[in-house]
Amino acid sequence: MKITNGRDFWAGLMFIAFGAAFMIISGNYPMGTAVRMGPAYFPTVLGGILAVLGAAVLFRAFVSKIPNPLAVFPFRGWYVVVGLALGVVAYYTQPPRDAVIVWQIGHTLLSGGAIGFLFAAFGPRPLWVILFSVVVFGYLLKPLGMVVATGALIFGSAWGGHEFKVKEVTILFVVLAIFSVIAFVHGLGLPMNVWPSLWE
Amino acid sequence: MEGLITNLGIGFHVALSLQNLFYCFVGVILGTLIGVLPGIGPVATIAMLLPVTFTLSPISALIMLAGIYYGAQYGGSTTAILVNLPGESSSVVTCLDGYQMARQGRAGPALGIAAIGSFFAGCVSTVIIALFAPPLAEVALKFGPAEYFSLMSLGLIAAVVLAHGSLIKAIAMVILGLLLGLVGTDVNSGVARFSFGVSELSDGIGFVSVAMGVFGFAEIIGNLEDTEEREIFVKKVTGLLPTLQDLKDSAPSILRGTALGSFLGILPGGGALLASFAAYTLEKKVSKNSANFGKGAIQGVAAPESANNAGAQTSFIPLLTLGIPSNPVMALMIGAMMIQGIAPGPQVMTERPQLFWGMIASMWVGNLMLVILNLPLIGMWIKLLTVPYRILYPAILLFCCIGVYSISNSPFDVMQTAVFGVVGYIFVKLECEPAPLILGFILGPLMEENLRRAMLLSRGDPTVFFQRPISLTMLLIAGFLLAITLAPAIRKKREEAFVEA
Repeated sequence: MKITNGRDFWAGLMFIAFGAAFMIISGNYPMGTAVRMGPAYFPTVLGGILAVLGAAVLFRAFVSKIPNPLAVFPFRGWYVVVGLALGVVAYYTQPPRDAVIVWQIGHTLLSGGAIGFLFAAFGPRPLWVILFSVVVFGYLLKPLGMVVATGALIFGSAWGGHEFKVKEVTILFVVLAIFSVIAFVHGLGLPMNVWPSLWE
Repeated sequence: MEGLITNLGIGFHVALSLQNLFYCFVGVILGTLIGVLPGIGPVATIAMLLPVTFTLSPISALIMLAGIYYGAQYGGSTTAILVNLPGESSSVVTCLDGYQMARQGRAGPALGIAAIGSFFAGCVSTVIIALFAPPLAEVALKFGPAEYFSLMSLGLIAAVVLAHGSLIKAIAMVILGLLLGLVGTDVNSGVARFSFGVSELSDGIGFVSVAMGVFGFAEIIGNLEDTEEREIFVKKVTGLLPTLQDLKDSAPSILRGTALGSFLGILPGGGALLASFAAYTLEKKVSKNSANFGKGAIQGVAAPESANNAGAQTSFIPLLTLGIPSNPVMALMIGAMMIQGIAPGPQVMTERPQLFWGMIASMWVGNLMLVILNLPLIGMWIKLLTVPYRILYPAILLFCCIGVYSISNSPFDVMQTAVFGVVGYIFVKLECEPAPLILGFILGPLMEENLRRAMLLSRGDPTVFFQRPISLTMLLIAGFLLAITLAPAIRKKREEAFVEA
């Protein structure tokens, strides 16, 4: 038995994993009967079907005539381990609301690191650099305001591309920051800070 | 007939109000813009604008979003003809002959015929919607839960059959979508399913997050992964008007494209993309000098461009009458309706005639705007194409992020979208089409609800789906579709159809 189609192999495993996960988690909810279906009924059935389909795709990976390499995209297993480890630490060190600022910032950095490592485990550089910038934007927007968050996103995502010209990106940042403050905050009236909330 | 005229009267009254004209204009302009730009499609744009529509009246919101979809079909052809890159996936086939025409110095007529064909198709399909939607909605009003469940099964299966790629993977993606749609609080029992104690997840996974992550972010990453050189062939386009001979040559193609596109748009899983592929294949078959195709045959531009516009518009029929999305854009339209507190379904037409007919009338108005605007503005669109992607994508990302964040002012949604970006990237790499996933996602809760109700009414007898004639018919069609797709001969043909064009 040899795997000929790597894409089918991983896709099959993915479907089986999702199907099994939904079935197992559904076990925590009441099943009900066919007349009065409980919250577990539909997802359990669907999860089962998904797992069976996944098995079929997996089987096809061995008999497929379309050759595809097993390494479909870059995957760095160690990053997953590090990311998960950081994530576990972050989960158990959640600061209470009145915790000292150092703790809060430290915890944020820790969770950020966990997310960064998990994203960086997959795919090419643009993938994780860009998506990480997106997450950073989301978490900076409330405390530091639109301008800083936009800066993080624009510089971050531009750095994830092929060419990074500081001057060009700076102009882009200035234009976009002004535009989004005028259009979204003032124009559409979205409730967002423009500057860090400490300043206001 | 008289009723139709009265109804269209109501529609135009709504569509021609100053406010709605403005949003229609904004929609078609935005649509053309993103249609011209490769690397961002109507799905991502509509997902991006969903939160913004919250501040608009329902009818203005839907008029604008609809304008984006059919506007994108116009814009896509411009890029296809001038740059040999599909600005929109539905204009892939337009590249073949459109770009060749441009190389022969006939970019103007190519753009002109694309616009004329699109406008004609837009007018015809508007009338088709007005004619066919009301009777269909009346039938649908009689549907019970069993019929709805069967209808949704049929819709999902048809969508899968018509999609390209592996059938079994597409079905798996539908089911995964259905499952993801179930995340969140169960309406019947109040149990928060699959939420892992995360309070944000007990409201369900955000539809915008899934759509934007899987389509928007994954697309941007894909574009950055393979560097492409963009070369604009024609800097200055002169003489947009096709000659009389051109018009004569392409008139039958426009008619055929419109007919085929209108029909394919109605089918679940159909829409602009399928319509344009099918129309090109058909033209090649019926043409007397099929050798010219791929070498700048004007029919090869006229037919698919008419078809994709017709298909884009008639795909609103299942949405407006049955409340069932036939493609991801329609799924987003359902999302927009839900944000506005409108339950999509056949009752929309009777309960909100202004919304229903206003939207239909606005499509004709929008098409007119597109023809008037597009031809003189082509110079501007060409300039836009010279903006390098490395400047565009950070801007696109920023608007996406602000849009997602503003749904509930929470960074969690942004994070969720980024996660679906990773998932979307993996899907693409594993050759798993994301479109069926989105359809399943939006239908998941509805299907469960109708299944439960049907089973409750039948006291747990699953044969209810086969006892009711309409339900049985739909299940039989679904089974038939699956069977013929699996038949080896058809399977080969289906693969050919997608490879050829």
